[in-house]
Amino acid sequence: MDRRDALMKLFSAKGVKVNTNRGEAYYNRLKEMMQKRLDELSNTPAVTKTDINKVLDAEGLSRRDFMKWASAITAMLMLPASFTPLVAKAAELMNRVPVIWIELQDCAGNSEAILRSDSPTIDELILETINLEFNETLMAAAGHQAEEHLDEAMKRFEGKYLCVVEGSVPIGAGKEWCTIGARGETFEKHLLRVSSKSAAVVAVGTCATFGGVPAAAPNPTGAVGVQDIVKGKPIINIPACPANPANITGTILHYVLTGQIPELDHLNRPKFAFGYRIHDNCERRAHFDAGEFVEEWGDEGAENNWCLYKMGCKGPMTFNNCSIVRYNSGTNWPIGAGHGCIGCSEPQFWDKYATERPMADSHFKAPTGGVEKTVDEFGLGLLSAAGIGIAIHAALSATAGKKEEEK
Amino acid sequence: MRPGYKKVERMTTFMRINHWVVAICMVAAIVTGLYIGHPYYQTLISEPAVNKYVMAWNRWVHFMVAIIFDVSSIVVAYLYFFSRFEKPILKILPTPKNIVEFVMVFINLITFNRVKKFDSSHADSFNTVYFLIFHLLLAWMLFSGLQLYVHGLESGHSSIGDWWPWVLHLATDWTVTVTGGTYMDVRYWHHISMYFIIVWVMFHIYYQVWRTIFWQEGDIAIVFGGSKFVKDNK
Repeated sequence: MDRRDALMKLFSAKGVKVNTNRGEAYYNRLKEMMQKRLDELSNTPAVTKTDINKVLDAEGLSRRDFMKWASAITAMLMLPASFTPLVAKAAELMNRVPVIWIELQDCAGNSEAILRSDSPTIDELILETINLEFNETLMAAAGHQAEEHLDEAMKRFEGKYLCVVEGSVPIGAGKEWCTIGARGETFEKHLLRVSSKSAAVVAVGTCATFGGVPAAAPNPTGAVGVQDIVKGKPIINIPACPANPANITGTILHYVLTGQIPELDHLNRPKFAFGYRIHDNCERRAHFDAGEFVEEWGDEGAENNWCLYKMGCKGPMTFNNCSIVRYNSGTNWPIGAGHGCIGCSEPQFWDKYATERPMADSHFKAPTGGVEKTVDEFGLGLLSAAGIGIAIHAALSATAGKKEEEK
Repeated sequence: MRPGYKKVERMTTFMRINHWVVAICMVAAIVTGLYIGHPYYQTLISEPAVNKYVMAWNRWVHFMVAIIFDVSSIVVAYLYFFSRFEKPILKILPTPKNIVEFVMVFINLITFNRVKKFDSSHADSFNTVYFLIFHLLLAWMLFSGLQLYVHGLESGHSSIGDWWPWVLHLATDWTVTVTGGTYMDVRYWHHISMYFIIVWVMFHIYYQVWRTIFWQEGDIAIVFGGSKFVKDNK
């Protein structure tokens, strides 16, 4: 980032305020626009044969389940309840939006989270029906055949497809060791080529958004997020490790509905998902305010589901909706399972959030360099140095000093 | 009054009240701030939560003293320029006279009062610059603290209106960028700065006591009675 960009960023950081009531006129206009967009989409031919209704039938889910899901997603997207039929229709038209999903330095954890869950939720099924043109993990093709298919899809849906990226981009020394495909394209070139012809780029998971685990100190590959590489394209970041399928579906649905990207915060995260802190909707919040903390794993506090702040929970400084949406069909989430939040949806989370200790006990690089200390250790060192200095000055004053004499 | 000495006014009533309010707030902010950063007492005492708000009360006290600090800081910043008593800004500007005075007072300190070549009847440049360091640290705590505070107002609403979180974002979002780009960095630096302030307070108290002992002008009385005594050379 050059200086100008840095300065602009410094003074233009947006808050995370989410305006959930913009008045009737606004919503009427929005509804009209969405209606028009959906009509246009339904007139285009479906690119895949997968139909959401067939998928739901196969899983034994009723139309009623589907509508219940649609109203929940409407609420999540912060739209009034009258938008539910539109959201349902958009979900049915998901097979008209081409998606090219590429993987870079990652563990495929986001794909796994979506595709391999035990009992798929409608969120996950929706992603089965999208027109997934290219995905290394899923497709049968390999080598030149896969490359050809990618080229063809990019050409056919030029300017229309969503480019979903999973994984970070190595740009440091040795980046040429990370190549993909039969042509040996580096990750950076691959990303730039595929994103250049897309309508928008969706960075899924913390690696793709902020570099994530590969970017953790000492960041041997010089890993960065998609937004550091791709310029001049709308970028939506859906961080977390893994990104919640509900947030991915919500973002794609928003795109299907409006043809636009949702309202984003200063880190390009959709506000509907990242507009509030884990802490504020946490089921253990009352224990935080009461000062009741788990002191060690398995103690009385842990048995009573007390607050995990002292075990290093970073819920108070992490913006995400896990505490509401949860994971795995809403079964549970880390804090519900008794482990604190590690702040996986925030930048540099591995180095600065996932320390498993409260902030005051977390190790950080002391300003003196190299040595890792906690803030309190550094502070006590500072106080000791000052105390010694004062003691020496006092002793020398007492022995060598000169008191003013009265005349 | 002892013959040969004259009384000089050094702190107005307001300055003295402000000093002690700030001193008490400082102790309260450190005690509660350490608890917020790492809750160090009361986890397993008493029954399950019934009207028990240990963290909530600590945060309440921390925010209350913070607001008192903020208001005091605004007044002090005004007085730097417009005080009718002594304008500190005149002692901070790097004029040749101020630089000489600053150096002479510093020499006085490191020679253990063997050399004293300045007029100690009014606020000197060294002490004023030292206070400026404190006020800058306090301003930093104000901005970084309000940034941490506004994270809890993510709805964009507050009891005093939507303008408040908006102003806080506008005024404090830069603290995230300058500390390293994450909300954790602001917390680290807010916490580390507390130690710098404690170091500042340690030397401040030591220096005022030291002056009282070695200068024999009753400097420690300034903050209570508002005046000290200097030799009358007339």
